[in-house]
Amino acid sequence: MSEVPAQQAVNQQPQQQQGQSGNRLAPKVEDLYLESYAFTTAAAIVGSVDRKIFVLLRDGRNLFGVLRTFDQFANLVIQDTVERIYLDDENSDGTKDKVRRYGEVYRGVFMIRGENVVMMGELDIDTEDDHLQGLEQLPFEVVEKELKERHARKVKEEKLRSKKLLSQGFVNDFVKSDMY
Amino acid sequence: MLPLYLLTSAKNQPILVELKNGETLNGELVNCDSWMNLTLNNVVQVSENGTNFLKLPECYVRGNHIKYMRLPEELMDYAKEQTLLNLEQRNRNQKRRTGGNFNNNRRNYNNQGNRNGGHNYRRNNNNNNK
Repeated sequence: MSEVPAQQAVNQQPQQQQGQSGNRLAPKVEDLYLESYAFTTAAAIVGSVDRKIFVLLRDGRNLFGVLRTFDQFANLVIQDTVERIYLDDENSDGTKDKVRRYGEVYRGVFMIRGENVVMMGELDIDTEDDHLQGLEQLPFEVVEKELKERHARKVKEEKLRSKKLLSQGFVNDFVKSDMY
Repeated sequence: MLPLYLLTSAKNQPILVELKNGETLNGELVNCDSWMNLTLNNVVQVSENGTNFLKLPECYVRGNHIKYMRLPEELMDYAKEQTLLNLEQRNRNQKRRTGGNFNNNRRNYNNQGNRNGGHNYRRNNNNNNK
């Protein structure tokens, strides 16, 4: 608690400097942002421990569960994990379905290596399921199979794209493991 | 409890490891280190597309190839127990330290590196007695 005055003192200096330099675009926004976090980088998620969170992995997996612990690499331990797959309404033949579909399955305790995390965020447990209202739930196996097919198709398309771009002297920045 | 410390308490228990390339390894955790390198026993290796299965008596995984691991549920109960036990121990230690008035096992970070031969300690002692 005694840190607060010190922090303010630190924060006031750059504010004054900013005022002098006359930067009128988004004044002091970065100060506001930083003040709401006790820590930056990996330690910022300390507030989400024992809360329901959402994690997106590099392979496109969506995981929902309770964050139990983490470390400086953002290795995460998540309990009561549910994996959910959302299928957007685009079909393989380019037609669109009326409803979006999803499937989910219980997975238990996860320990995720930090490298593979794209993003994570805290969930509001009151409203987290609201967005599923208009969606149709299918068995997980069905949705998983469909997703795998879509991924395979994407890889194929990107390979073709890479080939075409390369023939023109361009590089296509696509990695097979990046499906998020 | 940090994730890697938690992992050490999963030894001799069945875990599932998925590698970055999508392969999965099902086996009993024998040992692990601070780089998340693992040794497993009685492993079933499943290829990315889930069609090829391979049984391995033992297996070593270099940590940087891991995507995630799935651990047994009981591990979290164990972790909870351990943290409670730790907390208790810490409380007991604190009581002992503040109850007895000797300052022997208390580290004083304020005077580290002073060049006056630790003459400050007397003043600190007085403060504590007040």
